Amino acid sequence: MFSTKRLVAGLALATSAALALAGCSGSSAPASSYDPDEEVTLNFTWWGNDDRAARYQKLIDAFNVEHPNITINGQFTDFAAYWEKRQTEAAGGGLPDVWQFSDSYLRQYAEPGYVLDLGTVSDYIDFSTFDDSLLGTGQLGGTQYSLPTGYSAWANFVNDDVIAANGLTEPEGGTTFDEFYDWMAQTTDATGGAVYGGTDVTQRIQTFELALRAEGKNLYTDDGKLGFTEDELTAFWESGQTLRDGVAIPQSTLEEISPKSGFGAGLTATETSWSNFLGGYLADSGASSISMIAPPTAKVGSKDLYRQAGLQMAISANTEHPEAAALFLDFVVNSPEAGEIFGTTLGYPASSSKLAGAVLEGADKQVADYLDSVADRIGDAPPVPVVGYGSLEQKFWDLGKALGLGALTIDEAVKQFFAEADVVLQG
Amino acid sequence: MAMESNAVIELGEAVETAPRAADDRRAGGAPRRGSMLRRRENAAGYLFLSPWLLGFFALTAGPMLFSLYLAFTNYNIFSPPKWIGLGNFERMLQDDVWWDSVRITLIYVLVGTPIKLAADIGVAMLLNFRSRGTGFFRSAFYAPSLIGASVSIAIVWRAMFSTGGPVDSSLSLFGIDIGGWVGVPALILPMMILLAVWQFGAPMVIFLAGLKQVPQELYEAASVDGAGPFRKFGSVTLPMLSPVIFFNLLLEMIHAFQIFASAYIIGSGTGGPAGATNFYTVYLYTRAFTNAQMGYASAMAWALLIVVALIAFIMFRTSNSWVHYAGDNR
Amino acid sequence: MTAANLETITAVLPKGVKPPRRRYGKRRAWQTVIWVIVMLALTAIILYPLAWMISASFKPTAEFGANQGFFPHNPTIDNYFKVAEGAGGVPLWQFFANSFILAIGSVIGTVMSASLAAYAFARIRFKGSGVWFAVMIGTLLLPFHVLIIPQYMLYRGLGLVDTFVPLLLGKFLATEAFFVFLVVQFIRALPRDMDEAARIDGCGHWRIYWSIILPLVKPALVTASIFAFIWSWNDFLGPLLYLNSTEMYPLPLALRVFNDQTSTSDYGATVAVSVLALLPILIFFIIFQRFLVEGVSTQGLKG
Repeated sequence: MFSTKRLVAGLALATSAALALAGCSGSSAPASSYDPDEEVTLNFTWWGNDDRAARYQKLIDAFNVEHPNITINGQFTDFAAYWEKRQTEAAGGGLPDVWQFSDSYLRQYAEPGYVLDLGTVSDYIDFSTFDDSLLGTGQLGGTQYSLPTGYSAWANFVNDDVIAANGLTEPEGGTTFDEFYDWMAQTTDATGGAVYGGTDVTQRIQTFELALRAEGKNLYTDDGKLGFTEDELTAFWESGQTLRDGVAIPQSTLEEISPKSGFGAGLTATETSWSNFLGGYLADSGASSISMIAPPTAKVGSKDLYRQAGLQMAISANTEHPEAAALFLDFVVNSPEAGEIFGTTLGYPASSSKLAGAVLEGADKQVADYLDSVADRIGDAPPVPVVGYGSLEQKFWDLGKALGLGALTIDEAVKQFFAEADVVLQG
Repeated sequence: MAMESNAVIELGEAVETAPRAADDRRAGGAPRRGSMLRRRENAAGYLFLSPWLLGFFALTAGPMLFSLYLAFTNYNIFSPPKWIGLGNFERMLQDDVWWDSVRITLIYVLVGTPIKLAADIGVAMLLNFRSRGTGFFRSAFYAPSLIGASVSIAIVWRAMFSTGGPVDSSLSLFGIDIGGWVGVPALILPMMILLAVWQFGAPMVIFLAGLKQVPQELYEAASVDGAGPFRKFGSVTLPMLSPVIFFNLLLEMIHAFQIFASAYIIGSGTGGPAGATNFYTVYLYTRAFTNAQMGYASAMAWALLIVVALIAFIMFRTSNSWVHYAGDNR
Repeated sequence: MTAANLETITAVLPKGVKPPRRRYGKRRAWQTVIWVIVMLALTAIILYPLAWMISASFKPTAEFGANQGFFPHNPTIDNYFKVAEGAGGVPLWQFFANSFILAIGSVIGTVMSASLAAYAFARIRFKGSGVWFAVMIGTLLLPFHVLIIPQYMLYRGLGLVDTFVPLLLGKFLATEAFFVFLVVQFIRALPRDMDEAARIDGCGHWRIYWSIILPLVKPALVTASIFAFIWSWNDFLGPLLYLNSTEMYPLPLALRVFNDQTSTSDYGATVAVSVLALLPILIFFIIFQRFLVEGVSTQGLKG
């Protein structure tokens, strides 16, 4: 009895192995159905550092336990080079089968048809684990092109060590900008400039976005244009003048310690950024404790925050193995294993099944708690970013820095930004 | 032939007047035998030259022509090029950032190169003080040019010029308290020039070789006439070195126009604090590969080519008046 | 990539004749002493950045930014251990290997193609040689900017992006005019007696090139090789343009991986890798530098 079972099992195993080895693609059905026996190789790319690379390797290994026939050829570059490479691959027809994507580029890649409509492989992906607003971050014109791995929200980070060491008071979250600037000024004065209250927050386009959203507006419109005027931008940058006049850390200092940030170097008490930067800040600054509070707001009570699903996963429209690619994509965004391996390093898990697998401890838990704490300030998702948003965001920041260095007047900076926007949006 | 028929002169002549294949005339013999020989020589010549010819057409001339075409188009890689005539050039002239990059690059080339060459001559003269025992110093001085072109040094250079760094500390000793240079846009260009000057390298060696060739008799004659060291430098050394100076000046200028790696690294690829490291190449690269505006970038490249050609032309034309080729009566 | 590389010109200046005897004996001792002091001071200043970098490689990452001085507060060799692990899943030796492959490939390509073209220009009388020579010299003055975009498109169209081919092909096709010029000048200075003797014996151009000229131009080839190697080792723009996959990165690009801005930047590792990346070049230079000097000195002139 025992041996018969084993014999049968052994035969079954041998048969399927033989079939797999023979490499026959099984059915003569059209390529639209997935064949678990077919040997497939997928190209997969992402950007990031060592830590992320190690995690992806673990994920690929876990995937291969369930799908040994799919070989994942993983490659990565540093962020700066990533999109340049993808661009040229897009034109040459060589985009990777599955690739780490960003909502900033959704319009740019989806409109010309470089990204696969995930609806065509919906059999292999579970969409139910995402709520609508998060699904929306990967949609354009109603078509689902990518799925978020996680999301973050804008936050204000406070270096508790620095606060304690200098006998300062912790700032309150969610105050108005003016109140926060006052706190920053007090902090800078109290330490005589050894520690600054923070950086010039008007350098970041996200701060401008908060100000606009508090009024119910957005950075850009649904049809891909800018959603604000030169006057609004001018007023915004003027509001930051007090910070540049000695309250915030001088830009020239920041230039010297770059690419470390002022916060990372322990020279400022606060800094605003995306919630998933917590891990990086802890490592850079060596601080034992960093708190996250809600960023200042232009109008208390407004729903100016939103869930930014910057990191997404997409499939190239030219892939030869859409089903296999879809299986892998689903694994990356949805599997509990992904949650366990990545925690919040790809953003706070957007998928409920991924979240279920995530073990939220330490910094991850802190991020999760923060997101809970600002839940009632979270408003509707903004429209899909304009084409070239990435370079506009960088230009905004560069101009903000130039203002901090006194190299430009506000009028000149506004003029340059809009000139750049013209070029980018028409190109 | 006199010692002065050196390669420097030949290069100058080569560019000004294509050297005649005067040897052709020497392919003597009876016409029939000569023409067969000539045909075989031609075949051999082109055979040996074929790799270079292939490289020239496929990788130089071809691309040049194509980039000329692109300069009149809008091309973003995603879609085929769109002809827009002079649109790119019009845009260039109205582009503040373009003007800035031109300004920065021109200052770097026109101011930085003479400073660099002056430093090179100075160091060469120091090395020329003695004939022995300079090997160690020569190697030491040559080292920066080896590593200067590398990415690593850009990272280090920033540290040199930061607040409290070596440069700042040294200047403070003299009572000059500027603080760090890295965060001050106006000081970035001087910093980059210093980086170029620091890389004594080939020009220094060439000047050294040139210095050694100045006939001692000339110095002696000048001494007899009562000339002091400065007079000797002005009347003997400089004129004798002038072909070498010309040569180095021209080529170092071309080299300076092409600065990329150090500017890119020091500016973290964004053009540096307030656009201060946005040299022409960096801006071109950004437009071409980060913003995918290849038409515009090609227009920029051709604008540069025209400027470089102009500068080279001017230099050659004026060289007759100040470059002294010993051994001829120009 | 086609930037005028001035270093190669060092070899074109003839020396040949010994410099006229200089009356160094007359230099007074005190002048020499001052000279030595000045030279030592200059050397210290000039080499300081290099020394600083080596010293900084022993600083832990957290110290950067706070401690700009020369000596680390907490010296450590951890940076080197971290670097040895490589970056992004690619081991360190691979970055070195990539750099070596590219550099050696450049040397071989350059030597082969430049000597062929130079022989043609210098020793073969063929129609149009003057024109082509002038054209070649003209390419020295060409800014590479006009070439990079179309070259990039060409290689992309051929599917050669993310391979070493774009970085090496040009070397095998003598696109670096300087090297050609260098060898041309050297050959021109060689006496033609042996050529003519070989001709009379019935040798064709190939035999003359291979058996006579090539061995004689070794000094020029050595000089060219040295510079081809160094320049390829330090090349940043080429690899930046053409290489996507981290495992193909040579050292200049690998440095960027250690310095990724979206995460914590590992300064200590970056500097350690920088030091390691410079070592081969420095060693190379120290070994071969006397050949450089010979290259400058032995360019025959004759006529």
